[in-house]
Amino acid sequence: MTALLEVEGLVKHFVAERSLFGRALAHVKAVDGVSFSLEAGKTLALVGESGCGKSTVSRLVLRLIEPDAGSIRFEGRDLLALDASALRAFRRKAQIIFQDPYASLNPRMTVGQILTEPLALHGLVPSAQRHERVAELLRLVGLEPRLERRYPHEFSGGQRQRIAIARALAVEPKLIICDEPVSALDVSIRSQILNLLRELQDRLGLAYIFVSHDLAVVKHIADHVAVMNLGQIVETAEADALFSAPSHPYSRALLSAIPVPKPQAKRSRIVLQGEIPSALNPPPGCRFHTRCPYVIERCRTEMPQLVPDGIGHATACHRTSELPSSAAIVPSDGGFSPVLEKLVAAFSGGPEAVRGSGVSSLGTHPA
Amino acid sequence: MSGSPLIEITDLRIRFHGDDGRITHAVDGVDLSVANGATLGLVGESGCGKSVTSLAIMGLLPKQSAEISGAIHFDGFDLLKTPDQMLRDLRGNRLAMIFQEPMTSLNPSFTIGDQIIETILRHRGGSRKSARERAIDLLRRVHIPSPERRIDEYPHKLSGGMRQRVMIAMALACDPRLLIADEPTTALDVTLQAQILELMRELKAASGAAIILITHDLGVVAEVCDEVAVMYAGEIVERAPVDELFSAPQHPYTVGLLGSIPRLDHRTEQLATIEGMVPNMAQPPAGCRFAARCPFVLDACTKAPPPLIEVSPSHLSRCIRAPLERLVS
Ligand SMILES: Nc1ncnc2c1ncn2[C@@H]1O[C@H](COP(=O)(O)OP(=O)(O)OP(=O)(O)O)[C@@H](O)[C@H]1O
Ligand SMILES: Nc1ncnc2c1ncn2[C@@H]1O[C@H](COP(=O)(O)OP(=O)(O)OP(=O)(O)O)[C@@H](O)[C@H]1O
Ligand code: SF4
Ligand code: SF4
Ligand SMILES: [Mg+2]
Ligand SMILES: [Mg+2]
Repeated sequence: MTALLEVEGLVKHFVAERSLFGRALAHVKAVDGVSFSLEAGKTLALVGESGCGKSTVSRLVLRLIEPDAGSIRFEGRDLLALDASALRAFRRKAQIIFQDPYASLNPRMTVGQILTEPLALHGLVPSAQRHERVAELLRLVGLEPRLERRYPHEFSGGQRQRIAIARALAVEPKLIICDEPVSALDVSIRSQILNLLRELQDRLGLAYIFVSHDLAVVKHIADHVAVMNLGQIVETAEADALFSAPSHPYSRALLSAIPVPKPQAKRSRIVLQGEIPSALNPPPGCRFHTRCPYVIERCRTEMPQLVPDGIGHATACHRTSELPSSAAIVPSDGGFSPVLEKLVAAFSGGPEAVRGSGVSSLGTHPA
Repeated sequence: MSGSPLIEITDLRIRFHGDDGRITHAVDGVDLSVANGATLGLVGESGCGKSVTSLAIMGLLPKQSAEISGAIHFDGFDLLKTPDQMLRDLRGNRLAMIFQEPMTSLNPSFTIGDQIIETILRHRGGSRKSARERAIDLLRRVHIPSPERRIDEYPHKLSGGMRQRVMIAMALACDPRLLIADEPTTALDVTLQAQILELMRELKAASGAAIILITHDLGVVAEVCDEVAVMYAGEIVERAPVDELFSAPQHPYTVGLLGSIPRLDHRTEQLATIEGMVPNMAQPPAGCRFAARCPFVLDACTKAPPPLIEVSPSHLSRCIRAPLERLVS
């Protein structure tokens, strides 16, 4: 099976400082040699510290910004060689949703107008049928079609994110980039959006690039994970493989620090010492060497390459084979207690699942 | 939990009077207490009144629009009756807060060093030189790299995570008795978050300070809190020791919250969801405020506000169907 998206050696440096005469004095190596591929209908999560380049990769993949080097192939076609009309066609196939749904929705447009715009722009649906399509999109994301006359400010955060998702879906994309799509939402609303994203993936065969700093969410939603550090991928693997045996020292520290909802959880947290280097001036050799507990002399001068193990797990570290066992690095949250398990099932099952529940038609459940 | 409470809040009510004459019942009869050396987690839906409660403790609510009643006893004072001058002395000294938005409490036109040094001098006196040394030491304790250099930088030069840590350094400047931390790690990566939580644990161990930690991250609650209060629509709906809250919650809202977070050890296709929306706090419903979203609702729930009942001596729930085990056994 050929991949939907293939990214090879992507590089993007930003000018961070200019001289009085406009000469570039310093560069941020935001993305520095990133390669990955993504199959149709699958989810790749990008994780890593703030500023490691996750959003920049996302913008490059959508060609919202141009890379300095590297190639991006979408459905086998070189994205960087597309002419204007081919690029427009591509824009239909790849969409993005952001952390803050409010900022990305025009406050002066009704929901109906927001959803009609992409349909008209890409000439997708004859104007007579647009109204019906808008209603269909709203139903798809769990909103009532009658809400189309309202403005974004009349919705809650979770509803706004649904509208942003509906807008992305309007053009029937193959790929949606979700950049921190649930970080701004309440815990109780978050799960609705995560469930929705999964359900839409199953129904429509969507592929996602999912950027999140919540690693439990990543484990829940991703098929593959790429761990980034200072503009580079240091480890990539299937989600289950990464979470059961993280290999790179940075991934180990990251996963060991996940806070889990279990008091007195057993854990062996790796607390990193040393300075966080800046992307402005990344250290030579392995970019993690200033904080790595396993650093050796070679790490300070020679940059490790991402080496695949042959079964889908690749790590960029000189000492991969010598590191201690990675068992028990990811904390265990023990799942639900037996009582909680039953209570959650009853909560999700609605009134029928509860013993002695007498009511249904109070009209208290909001439409 | 041991010792007498360091802070005791009784029947706190906060109303906001809007320009249009609308009244928002932001906090509606909250009772809370925290013992010396204990950490209380405060969790709940956005807008349920967590920040407003902590601002009331700090005496920082806007006087013109906020109407406050009840009592907040802290260290021998009723903070709601304490004159402004004295409150100012308490703040930053025995009472410190880390705010949800670091930029709102860092002054952009002063270096971070000036701001920390100013706090130290105001509350503890001493020479500027020794205050500067202490400030550098504090910055080092919150893991700011090269603190000797960073101390002379302006807030806008720092990353979000660094600002957050500067705020923490400032809050620790005078060894507070009570530290209120409003979402102190939300903007941070897990590795930094782990460092900050470690720091708060250190503080507690070293000085016996009490902490009120506001967060939406139940993982963080499980890690650092002794007790948890769950708020919903201006009220406390559940209060319990941390173990009990996670193993046998007694309010349906808490059950929904715990069911909606993905678990590392538990692969589910579907997460639990809490359907519907929070009630409009200009006109709170007559009965249980969670009734519109509660799958366990009965007719009686909507007739009168449920009282906060003792499920066990340390475990309180504002649900007429508690203990909830009865519903599933
Ligand atoms: N337009 C730009 N000009 C200059 N520097 C930039 C620009 N965009 C991003 N950067 C820098 O590139 C680096 C990577 O940024 P990016 O936004 O991709 O990080 P991220 O991983 O998405 O971080 P976060 O988790 O905070 O969103 C950062 O150091 C950032 O400051
Ligand atoms: N200065 C103010 N004037 C009027 N209403 C206010 C003011 N500050 C807060 N409120 C209202 O009081 C209620 C409680 O707000 P609060 O900031 O305490 O929520 P919160 O629980 O901290 O939420 P979050 O998790 O989003 O921070 C909200 O309805 C809010 O809109
Ligand atoms: S290459 Fe060296 S410094 Fe880098 S992660 Fe591996 S052991 Fe650590
Ligand atoms: S009192 Fe009734 S509506 Fe309220 S939480 Fe309990 S069961 Fe649900
Ligand atoms: Mg980003
Ligand atoms: Mg708040």
